[in-house]
Amino acid sequence: MHYTPHFYLDPGTGSFIIQIAIAALLGLGVALRASWGSIKKLFGIKPKEEDDDSDNASN
Amino acid sequence: MPQTEKLPASFRDPSGFLFSRSGILYRQINRAYSMDYARLMDSGLYAKLTKLGLLIPHAESDQAPAESASAFKVIQPERVPFISYPYEWSFSQLKDAALATLSIQKHALKLGMSLKDASAYNIQFARGKATLIDTLSFEIYKEGEPWIAYKQFCQHFLAPLALMSFRDARLNQLLRVYIDGVPLDLAGALLPAKTKFNFGLLTHIHIHAGAQKKYSDNIVAPRKGAMSKQALTGLIESLEATIKKLTWKPAGTEWGDYYKNTNYADSAFEHKKQLVKEWTAEKNPNLVWDLGGNTGVFSREAASSGAFTVSFDIDPAAVEQNYRIVKKQKEQNILPLVLDLTNPSPAIGWDNAERDSFGARGPADMALALAVIHHLAISNNVPLTQLAEFFAARCKWLVIEFVPKSDSQVKRLLASREDIFPNYVREGFESAFSERFDIRKAESVRDSERTLYLMERKY
Repeated sequence: MHYTPHFYLDPGTGSFIIQIAIAALLGLGVALRASWGSIKKLFGIKPKEEDDDSDNASN
Repeated sequence: MPQTEKLPASFRDPSGFLFSRSGILYRQINRAYSMDYARLMDSGLYAKLTKLGLLIPHAESDQAPAESASAFKVIQPERVPFISYPYEWSFSQLKDAALATLSIQKHALKLGMSLKDASAYNIQFARGKATLIDTLSFEIYKEGEPWIAYKQFCQHFLAPLALMSFRDARLNQLLRVYIDGVPLDLAGALLPAKTKFNFGLLTHIHIHAGAQKKYSDNIVAPRKGAMSKQALTGLIESLEATIKKLTWKPAGTEWGDYYKNTNYADSAFEHKKQLVKEWTAEKNPNLVWDLGGNTGVFSREAASSGAFTVSFDIDPAAVEQNYRIVKKQKEQNILPLVLDLTNPSPAIGWDNAERDSFGARGPADMALALAVIHHLAISNNVPLTQLAEFFAARCKWLVIEFVPKSDSQVKRLLASREDIFPNYVREGFESAFSERFDIRKAESVRDSERTLYLMERKY
């Protein structure tokens, strides 16, 4: 099944395809980090608090 | 009924549009967007983002919609004191705008929404911070869907930032030509080859540009569910990491250390600061334009009266330094911007009406033109009468410094050329400006040959 496009901007076919490929790779990183976090938890290492309210101006 | 005017910059998105009525800015939300708007407000996303200063706050209004057939609601967004554009921002301003956009997207994803556009024009500097001004940029996130705004984000933010960081900070001027951001193939061609060894730039610019070319004639839509939320998060975090690593150190430009190179005495400088402070306090303007503001020393004197002060300068290094001061001191009423007064920002976009010219965003209540007249009159050969016309169209009150030919800065400008400016003397200056202004005050700047004037526009 394909999308019924509902976008008001043209996301660009190439941009769509390439981001899916890149993101698949990068998503692995996110997954690994998440499981690494639970492994560390298993050994009693507390995960770092994510600074949710951090300022966007970071430099 | 008061006149309703649709703003020419918000025609693309069918979710709604901006209109003004009796000088107040409203946004009509169309019925097509009602579900998304409800999610934005009910999910806590609106509260979260406005609390963080990432989204402009608004109030729901009982004003009649501008086009009732499609209308769902009318909201009144908080007004930004001065609208600026990415080709007027320094490196760190564009970088902060990019990081704000990604931060918003991360918050949105956590609460089941996603940005459906990532235009640099949707970001403005409000209270000193990069803030999203388009309340209708969010849509309900559908699991499996890629980021629609990915291409736009790369073109509006990543490409110009990479070019500014790796090539030259002046390359953000490309945004003045390309209203939908720097084309990625162009960015790829201009960036040094070593950027192919930077994972983020390799993928999001070089490979991305290649894919755009390869699939340019393709009409194949990606399969549904092609991109997990985890993958999307990875994409956003990768863009964020890539942009955080981009840096630019302002150095070696025209004015970077101008104040160190001038020969006029500290006492003259302090006297000028004192006069600017006194005169702004006395006239109490709401909006001040400091034209040729350098790193903002005099802008800060003007802003101390409470005026919102836009500090324009031609030099991206000075504007960068000024912005860093704004951030460091958490100043809310100073906006540093890059502007070449001899060729100010034009009106661009569809029908030349999407982005306003510099002049159309005025007039200001007061303008400062300190140590700038010789650059316009001598370096750029603008006759004094035309300069008076220019300033009269831009402000009611004018604080202007006359720098005579005997001043070392003017001598420097005339050193390598013929002096074709017989009128460029104090009397000539006063008579030219008196046609459009009444001279209210004229003070000799201590320990210098310069004069500072306070003028009021005649009509």
